[in-house]
Amino acid sequence: MAWQYSEKTKQIFMDAVHGKPGTHLGEIENPDGFGEHGSISCGDALRFTFRVEKHPSDPLQDRIVEAKYLTFGCTSAIAASEALCVLIERGRFTPVTALKVRNKDIVDFLGGLPEQKIHCSVMGAEALEAAVFNWAQKRGVDLAKLGVDIHANDQQEGRIVCQCFSLSEPYIRRKIKELNLRTIPEITNAIKAGGACASCHYAPGGLQDLLNEAWGGGQGAAVLEGASRSPLAGEGGASGAPRPPEVEVAGFIVGLSPYQFSKKVEKVVDDYIRPMLRKDGGDIEILDIKENLVYCRLAGACKGCAHSGSTLRMMVEGTLKDRVHESVRVIEA
Amino acid sequence: MRIIYADNNATTAVAPEVREAMAPFFGEVYFNPSSMYEPARRAAAAVDGSRRSIARHLGADPSEILFTSCATESNNTAILGVAKANPGRRHIVTTAVEHPAVLQVCRELQRGGHRVTFLPVDGDGNLDLRAFIRALDKDTALVTVMHANNETGVVFPVDRLARLTKETDPAIVFHTDATQTVGKLAIDLGKDFRHVDLLSFSGHKLHAPKGIGALFIRKGTPCRPLLIGGHQESGRRAGTENVPYIAGLAAALDLAMEHRAADEARIGAMRDRLEKGLLARIPSVQVNGGDAPRLPNTLNASFHFIEGEGMLYQLSEHGICASSGSACTSGSLEPSHVLQALKVPFTAVHGSIRFSLSRYNTDSDIDRILEVFPGIVANLRRLSPYWDSKNDRPRPEAESLVQPSTEAK
Repeated sequence: MAWQYSEKTKQIFMDAVHGKPGTHLGEIENPDGFGEHGSISCGDALRFTFRVEKHPSDPLQDRIVEAKYLTFGCTSAIAASEALCVLIERGRFTPVTALKVRNKDIVDFLGGLPEQKIHCSVMGAEALEAAVFNWAQKRGVDLAKLGVDIHANDQQEGRIVCQCFSLSEPYIRRKIKELNLRTIPEITNAIKAGGACASCHYAPGGLQDLLNEAWGGGQGAAVLEGASRSPLAGEGGASGAPRPPEVEVAGFIVGLSPYQFSKKVEKVVDDYIRPMLRKDGGDIEILDIKENLVYCRLAGACKGCAHSGSTLRMMVEGTLKDRVHESVRVIEA
Repeated sequence: MRIIYADNNATTAVAPEVREAMAPFFGEVYFNPSSMYEPARRAAAAVDGSRRSIARHLGADPSEILFTSCATESNNTAILGVAKANPGRRHIVTTAVEHPAVLQVCRELQRGGHRVTFLPVDGDGNLDLRAFIRALDKDTALVTVMHANNETGVVFPVDRLARLTKETDPAIVFHTDATQTVGKLAIDLGKDFRHVDLLSFSGHKLHAPKGIGALFIRKGTPCRPLLIGGHQESGRRAGTENVPYIAGLAAALDLAMEHRAADEARIGAMRDRLEKGLLARIPSVQVNGGDAPRLPNTLNASFHFIEGEGMLYQLSEHGICASSGSACTSGSLEPSHVLQALKVPFTAVHGSIRFSLSRYNTDSDIDRILEVFPGIVANLRRLSPYWDSKNDRPRPEAESLVQPSTEAK
């Protein structure tokens, strides 16, 4: 899908990837603030670092003078990272006042972002928070005492609601309020939760429940979406497919259970067929036995031999018919 | 700026010869082929002639070719039609890497109570023959397995799978989505593909326009129509025949078959040169599906530690068109289900790029891609938190991120 980016977003991206002077690519060595958000497996990740001019006596008067980033992500993730650094440097903020820079400021700076890309700007704001938290630890500043509510570490705590992107309940709750998210698509666009397998949308304690708790209403009226997890997870998955019950096939060959039948086939193959083939440097591999059907292929010197088709039919099938049961059919796999 | 189009598994340029073949039916021959008067006979003759010509190229009987609006419609008709015609059997076998036009239809049947087996693939993209055989049971109504994968180009041994199916139980219907292979690989429904009952394809992957597809239905195959309300296509697909597009599809297949042998070799050589060139110039790259039998025109590669969309954007600045399995380009946040099924690590799925060539590509296209692409990758790696740009290699702590995962997800 072609994303509709603003000219400014495109320009910032191209300047950044070409390392134009004045862009903020990189990582500050021994930074005063260090924050990360996202992970490579989620599709985007940002490492944000800043350096402050330290105030001799009052850490609260430290000023951020340099900010840099390294980003794994799409066009808008990279542009949003660049925007974050520009906004932070331009404001000559103290770390605490820098928290005033929110994801909306990043979106505005970029001249807007497509809805599905809002999460790129949220990632910037989250990394900034984490970096300020890190700065506070290093400088011995008690943010809580200042009334600054930092949640940089609540991602690691609490029940995981969105498994695909490892997002926890406290984090999603906070973001719903903070970003005024009213619908599941809004949540997905902003923080990616529910954007992949969608199984958390209407699950108990899932996104719809969190929305209902936050804003009230919607008493369990959610319509359950169909099985849309990974194709292998649903019922009837490859290996989980229930085989027809044994009774259905038992008695197919009088006196032999399916198990006894396959054992007998294997024994005849080992005792009679394989020794014959080996004389000519060949071999046989049994892939499966399904009732009277024996799936096999010739190996060794027999493989690719022009006579392999008739060897299977005449020699292998003939021997099995003689020694196991008349109904045996050999299928070349 | 010259456009270098390397996204031919998405759609293709309409061939000039095809446009020409279609033109009369936008002009003087506008009649409904079902009408009785003399002038309408030219329209009817065009539809009949196209049907005969397509059937001949595929080794089928003309009565077995059904025109549809696209491969998605062909797939829907095949799968839903067989399910409807065979209420006594409630099991379907397919693969985890099918196009959504098959996968979603199977899921829809699953919601309605069918049992569906989604066969996994290995790390190269190959099916496990044992698992395939095991999946067939007395309740199986339909097997639907694609011929070649649109994302990786990996080719499944459809001839063998169809034979195994029919030898196990002739009542099981075998369908294949051959959208990526008709006109590109040899398909003879009278010979090696004689066990295939249903085969879907579309025009716009072989230089006909979008909006025309076809479904081969072998005589005697139980399959109910999807579109009803008219006698067209012998009652198997109602709706006035799309005469110009049908003529275009036939002309496109004529061209493809005429050039197939030469194209296959030339396109394959260009793809191989592109693949070798990229691997030689760029570190930390993996080719997805590279060890399996593959379409000669497709290259799917993951460039580690960077994201696909940023690569596509820079490519487009150079006029180069390609695609990616990255989540950011999918319209949802979920990256390619195909690459996930190959157990490509999540991180490498995000950094995947697909180049798909056609007979209109030239050696200078390949030269140009090889010239600009290493720089595009380097640009993004300089920005990546997982890349050590000084030494041009992954940071040590990041290397484990691109080891093949042990689970699909």
